[in-house]
Amino acid sequence: MPPCRSNSSQVGGILDDVNNGEPSPKVLGMVDPAHPPSRRAPLRWAVGGVVPWLLLGVGQLVWVRFDQRLPWLHIVIAVGTVLGATISVAVVPLWRYRVHRWEIGPQAVYTRTGWLVQERRIAPISRVQTVDTHRGPLDRLLGLANVTVTTASSAGAVHIAALDVAVADHLVAQLTDIAAIGGEDAT
Amino acid sequence: MTARPEIAWQRLSPRMLLVHPVHELLRELPLLIGGLVLGSTTGNQSWTVAVLALSVVVGVARWFTTSYRIEADPESGQVQLRAGLLQRKVLSVPLNRIRSVQTDARLLHRLLGLAVLRVSTGQEARAEHGFELDAVRVDQVPRLRAILLAESPQPAEAPTAEPEASSTVLARWQPSWLRYAPLSLSGLLTMAAAAGVVYQSGAFGPLQHSRLVKSWLDAAERLGVAGTVAVIAAVVLVASVVLAVLRSLLTYGNLVLWRAADALHLRHGLLRLRERTYDMSRLRGGTLRQPLLVRIFGGARLDAVMTGVHGAGESSVLLPPCPVSTAESVLAGLVGDRDVVTGPLRGHGRRAASRRWTRALGFPVLAGAVLAVFTLTSVVPLWLWTAWVAVTAWCALLAADRIGALGHRVDSRWLVMRAGSWERRRDCLATAGIIGWTVRQSPFQRRAGVATLVAATAAGVKRYPLIDVPEDQAWAVAAQASPWVADSMWARR
Repeated sequence: MPPCRSNSSQVGGILDDVNNGEPSPKVLGMVDPAHPPSRRAPLRWAVGGVVPWLLLGVGQLVWVRFDQRLPWLHIVIAVGTVLGATISVAVVPLWRYRVHRWEIGPQAVYTRTGWLVQERRIAPISRVQTVDTHRGPLDRLLGLANVTVTTASSAGAVHIAALDVAVADHLVAQLTDIAAIGGEDAT
Repeated sequence: MTARPEIAWQRLSPRMLLVHPVHELLRELPLLIGGLVLGSTTGNQSWTVAVLALSVVVGVARWFTTSYRIEADPESGQVQLRAGLLQRKVLSVPLNRIRSVQTDARLLHRLLGLAVLRVSTGQEARAEHGFELDAVRVDQVPRLRAILLAESPQPAEAPTAEPEASSTVLARWQPSWLRYAPLSLSGLLTMAAAAGVVYQSGAFGPLQHSRLVKSWLDAAERLGVAGTVAVIAAVVLVASVVLAVLRSLLTYGNLVLWRAADALHLRHGLLRLRERTYDMSRLRGGTLRQPLLVRIFGGARLDAVMTGVHGAGESSVLLPPCPVSTAESVLAGLVGDRDVVTGPLRGHGRRAASRRWTRALGFPVLAGAVLAVFTLTSVVPLWLWTAWVAVTAWCALLAADRIGALGHRVDSRWLVMRAGSWERRRDCLATAGIIGWTVRQSPFQRRAGVATLVAATAAGVKRYPLIDVPEDQAWAVAAQASPWVADSMWARR
């Protein structure tokens, strides 16, 4: 671990010296964060992803029941629905599972998320304002939890999705411990 | 609240008993005009009287139902506002959350020596959620401001005082700034708003049959379609230019921006006087904005990037469209480094450029192909091809301009980002205020080897994207700006 220079990350005025230290050697890139989400995460995403398509399918069945005038249109939409459902069950969850990663360092939280559009996001723990845990009905069924780490910027919240509950609890405890939330203004 | 000694609720200035009914009437103006029209057609003016009486009663009741109190304890003190005619509500703002205090005096307020005091906190910087005392006497403002900002190091100063000798004036309004006024849409918008009010009030119906409109219609018939359109266009153009210039003059004529100790003061408005005080320690930089037309005429506008002040819209404006040299020198003075404002930027390279070209020319090429197919099979009017050439040329120019704009500059203190053609902006952001980084890649960006780097901050518009940085540079920029990225365990050197 390189030495920490947190004394220079104080909130300060526009003319304050922020970092007068020696120029740091050029950073070439970032290693990906280490931890994958829960093993049950793909299942969670598959179930969550297929529900809208199922509703669409039910709607089509009702439609076919009452109106059979345009068979080709029914077939086109049915094929589209089946294709969409298949992708959202078989492709997206696994792709997501390959992309999603998270890790907590001594100074920062770092995540990689997304599937088609991918994002890596890093936020300094000293500026964390709140750490929230969110569990929807599906998450509770599968024993999962989502953690959101917010900072004073609405563009900087870090989301860590589909963790095992035990891991999430440990993570929240660890974060609140390091962050000492409420100590400073954090803007 | 039970443990604390009860502090008496105070009413706002009794002079508001004069102001409220008038404002209430202005607010109900469409209804009033509707009442007048209804009255004149039915011969019964009791509707007008009823609307008048109701407005006055509501206005007076507003004063009686509004009160405020300030617990001036620096630790746990708060300012509370109790208001509402039918639905009572109490707004409380802890004193230590107050970021800036602004005053605003419309014409009537000024005549009566009043000012609206607005308090904004870091969390909710939007005007509609704001906390305002409407209104207090102008001579009370310094005292209230001192109490409200007890924690923040801000000099308490009379709002109408001229800049003192110890302060430096950064910019004063010049008549030449008016030349940028017609380049905005504000004149057209004013006209549209006026038309909307007329239409809503119901005065449109009777107008249709009036003699004036009849004579216009006759004139239009004599002129023919092309002539009428030309005349209307000319009238709208002239009117919008006049309105825009007038509006700019009334809003910004007499603008003064000055700096005293740790605070930045902005005052402007010939009729409606507005005064803002920004705490310099909350300033995180500035944005030079150059809409295309303003840029062609060598102008720019300057926005503050500040925590606790909403980034978009009027609350962050430091300078309206003015000569670019003025805006640049003011920003350079605030930032303390001229290179940040005018220095050369590092471009984003060939791959970002080719993405600009494909984005701008994708649609014209497609349209050209469709047109070509149609030309082979049937007759296509020549003007379609002419229009296609014009659109394509325009898109190409736009793409070239966007490529020229794209760039960044980073050191350990400042991140500078420039992008855009139609609405070019140069964001200068203090790296100390950056509290998060995002590197985002769409599939196309991954293939092109570029990424969008987003700096997150609590100030200004919160999200400052830098588009299409070469992938291998994205984290280097973040690391150079934020030591906590460079020193993190994930950094590869």
